[in-house]
Amino acid sequence: MSIRFKDNLYEVLRAVMPITLVVTILQVVLISLPLVDFLRFLVGAFMVMLGLTLFLQGVKLGFLPMGETIGSRLPQEAPLVVILLVAFTLGFVVTVAEPDVRVLAYQVDLVSQGEIPRNILILAVALGVAVFVSMAILRIILGIPIAYLLAAGYTAVLILSFFTPVHFVPISFDAGGVTTGPVTVPFILALGIGTASVLGGRSSISDGFGLVGLASIGPILAVMVLGVIYQ
Amino acid sequence: MTELLDFLHFQAVTAEVLVAMGPLVVFFLGFQFFFLKLPAQYVKNLLKGMVLTFIGLILFLQGVKVGFLPVGSAMGGVLGSLETKWIIIPIGFALGFVATIAEPAVQILSYEVERTSGGSIRAKIILLTLALGVSVVMALGMARILYGIPILYLVIPPYLLVLILLKFSDPTFTSIAFDAGGVATGPMTVTFVLATAVGIATVMEDRDPIADGFGLIALVALAPILSVMILGMFYTLRRRKRA
Repeated sequence: MSIRFKDNLYEVLRAVMPITLVVTILQVVLISLPLVDFLRFLVGAFMVMLGLTLFLQGVKLGFLPMGETIGSRLPQEAPLVVILLVAFTLGFVVTVAEPDVRVLAYQVDLVSQGEIPRNILILAVALGVAVFVSMAILRIILGIPIAYLLAAGYTAVLILSFFTPVHFVPISFDAGGVTTGPVTVPFILALGIGTASVLGGRSSISDGFGLVGLASIGPILAVMVLGVIYQ
Repeated sequence: MTELLDFLHFQAVTAEVLVAMGPLVVFFLGFQFFFLKLPAQYVKNLLKGMVLTFIGLILFLQGVKVGFLPVGSAMGGVLGSLETKWIIIPIGFALGFVATIAEPAVQILSYEVERTSGGSIRAKIILLTLALGVSVVMALGMARILYGIPILYLVIPPYLLVLILLKFSDPTFTSIAFDAGGVATGPMTVTFVLATAVGIATVMEDRDPIADGFGLIALVALAPILSVMILGMFYTLRRRKRA
């Protein structure tokens, strides 16, 4: 466990440090925020690094092994309806726990001054992921080529974007970007690869991929629909 | 420095993390008892993992809420009121480049693409393509805020391009490309960089913090998809020429 902790720490450091350095340089040569603000940034960076490391460690130690076991055993032992139901639920619960989704929702809540409450946004994103993960699993079982679903999903996004209120469009697209965070991806992949290897057709390995791409279309559509309802 | 003590107010964030992690924990415990019935070691690790994720998420969210969001917004405020406003474009470029080139997920992706291409596209080239791709869209994202370009103008053309490339790209590359969307939206982009962008849009006249500030993550998520699809197309073309 200690080795893995070091690996996670290293990974997080490499993701956080470069921008922290650039911000530090900017602070010195261009921005000169009050010292207390800059310290606030450094303390924040430290907490983010430590927090993310512990979080990833916890996910890898506790949740992923079980997720992988579910992914490999469920398709063998359960009927189709149950697999789809589990895919839906898993998509939902991992998105609710996804840090990136939460951070986007904070900022939207903050900037819209509560007009778009963060829990509503998280709910919409989670439902979007849930629906699309189940569709992605269904696709593997029915053997529909991924390109068809991606094309259909993107076309739906393009059409819906013309009916979505201007305020919701950027948030919708951002919502698609945050669902591919550190929690969602491994669980969705585990379930997808498990399903593909048991129930998939000829090209079972490459069938498992593309799931994350599909899963990130769901929240875009969901937030757009939310915008249309809000209007 | 007593202002910094607000980092210690953990109540709100703790309550939130309970709500965030609750469903996931119930899901896994339910599965364990009714279906998986895995050996005790798994349950022990699950409990340990729960404690770690719980503490980790609290620290992370607190760091973002109390640290990154207010400072990002303040920094955006300064950048947006500079006289030489165009400076945010090269800053965006630099942020995109350094964030991507060091990102572990991007390096894993680069090796994956190299392997899929049977070594004909070198990992270093892929890494550079990805980093440049993200830098360009990050710069574009900043230019968008500066000039008030609607996000659809920047998102629809790449989406259409992706749809067209779907026809020409090798299916394996397509799958890798779409799973790659998340590799560049690392923990700093979603938190600090987005807060800065929103801060810039807030202080600029005639800019709306919501309509103009958000959208950066979407652009950054598109860059790796497009980069890998284009690499895939080159690979397919090269192979056809040889055949």
